[in-house]
Amino acid sequence: MRSIGILCAVFVSLALLGPVFAPYDPTAINIPNRLSPPSAQWPLGTDALGRDILSRLLHGASWSLGLAFVVSLIGCVIGTFVGLVAALGGKTTDWALMRATDTFLSFPELVAAVVIAGILGAGTGTLIFALCATSWMRYARVARGIGLSLKSRGYVIQAKLVGLSPIAIARWHYLPALLPSLTVVWTGMLARAILGISALGFLGFGVQPPMPEWGTMLLDARIHMRSTPLQMVWPGLAVAISVLAINLCGDVLRDRISADER
Amino acid sequence: MIQTMLSLVLRAVVVLVGSALVTFVLLWNAPGDPAMAIAMARFNAVVPAEVVDQVRAEAGLDAGFWPAFKAWIGPLLVGDFGRSSVTGREVWPDLVTAVGYTYPLAFLALFWGLAIALPLAILAASRPGSVLDRVCVAMASTGAAMPAFWLGLLLILLFAVKLAWLPAMGARTASHIVLPALTLALGVAASLTRIIRSGILEARDQNFLPALQRRGVANSAIERDHVAPHAAIPVVTVFGLELAFLLEGLVMVEVIFGRPGLGGFLVNAIDARDFPKVQAVVLLTAIVFVAINFAVDIFYKLLDPRMEDRDA
Repeated sequence: MRSIGILCAVFVSLALLGPVFAPYDPTAINIPNRLSPPSAQWPLGTDALGRDILSRLLHGASWSLGLAFVVSLIGCVIGTFVGLVAALGGKTTDWALMRATDTFLSFPELVAAVVIAGILGAGTGTLIFALCATSWMRYARVARGIGLSLKSRGYVIQAKLVGLSPIAIARWHYLPALLPSLTVVWTGMLARAILGISALGFLGFGVQPPMPEWGTMLLDARIHMRSTPLQMVWPGLAVAISVLAINLCGDVLRDRISADER
Repeated sequence: MIQTMLSLVLRAVVVLVGSALVTFVLLWNAPGDPAMAIAMARFNAVVPAEVVDQVRAEAGLDAGFWPAFKAWIGPLLVGDFGRSSVTGREVWPDLVTAVGYTYPLAFLALFWGLAIALPLAILAASRPGSVLDRVCVAMASTGAAMPAFWLGLLLILLFAVKLAWLPAMGARTASHIVLPALTLALGVAASLTRIIRSGILEARDQNFLPALQRRGVANSAIERDHVAPHAAIPVVTVFGLELAFLLEGLVMVEVIFGRPGLGGFLVNAIDARDFPKVQAVVLLTAIVFVAINFAVDIFYKLLDPRMEDRDA
């Protein structure tokens, strides 16, 4: 538990402070020293344009991890809103919103995100839009389920009868009940967002060069697979370790929450 | 039962019409002039304005949103996917060719994935908490965290570049399928191992098993009649999700390995702004997806009659 907490702290600080530790400018081109192997001067070597790979990885953390954070948070807010409206609104609203949720769920997330980002034109804005549009549905289902079960609980009905405002009910009764489950869904979606961002970047539909996003770096490195294979290892390793750390945190959280409920 | 079937069918229809609408809204709102993009892709050069207008009329882009939507969904309802806006060839035969490359890959990946996951899960669940169990779980967690396209690149690096055992690019010979299938299978195995393992552990935890044991029922019979069926339920539940995961992986893996399957078809169509092709792929995935989830829902009810609706 503690080691996982430390791991998470390391990642958050990497995303926030990565650029501070970077020894070089991640976009500074240095053609004479292109494709250098790892050395004391360039700890992980340089890429095809002579840019320092370590600096690009560190700067890339704020792109890959930061964007994933933004995307998963927006998705959570939208999904929770939709789910609660479905649970608390009338029967028709519920039916319409849940069929809309089903519709969006009927595409594999990444395929849909590729189509959206590809059609609307590559760029960071469309990347965020594409990933949010394909990730709010699970929050909606969870929020709706909890909303439905709370609606008929005695203390919620009493709070309504006493005349508590809907906002106060939402704040004091719904939010505490929603938070644990939403957090678990959120960690899963955060990991998926990191994978999605790197996949779209790798296909050329995500963050655009020269920005050092990890998937985009893999796309660059792929061409030089034969001459400098190591260049291809680092960005993928960064993605895999981040996702692994977040998934482990999610597992621990889920165990804790189910232990609390027992 | 008939009523639930009917409501499932109704839901499937609503979802399919909804997904057609969502796709069309998206394409309608694509930036730039689609007619210009199509004309440039078709003639591979800068084209005069009258040619662009001609293309616009041909593709039905000059009418309003609803007329265009009607003009688009009409043929789809009778299974006509239209013609490519770039090559002018019919979409359907090309789509069938692409699917012909994709589905053996998907099938092989699922099969290999299960073949890896099942023994690993049984091994891990045989002594929960042991070193062996922990190694299996750690391997599965690591596998689940690896992006499919990166794993594919690493396998190319090892087996095609360094060892030169297997071909990497294209789909000319039968051996071309090995590396992409292995890439996907490892991903499938990673998630299945954990699910099967916890399924088995949960099934062994059922409170009537010790009673059966004390009555003298053989362990093998208990495993066969009470543990295995119970452990299968979560596997069926996640099958829909697993398929989504597989489809996502397929797109990436086909692009990496240069296979002319559905993934390459989709990415090329997006790059060329060939909207009829994009629409066809999106609708096809939606149909497959809805059909699978439909089958899972039904199978689920048969497997465990106690269960209520999965998500309603």
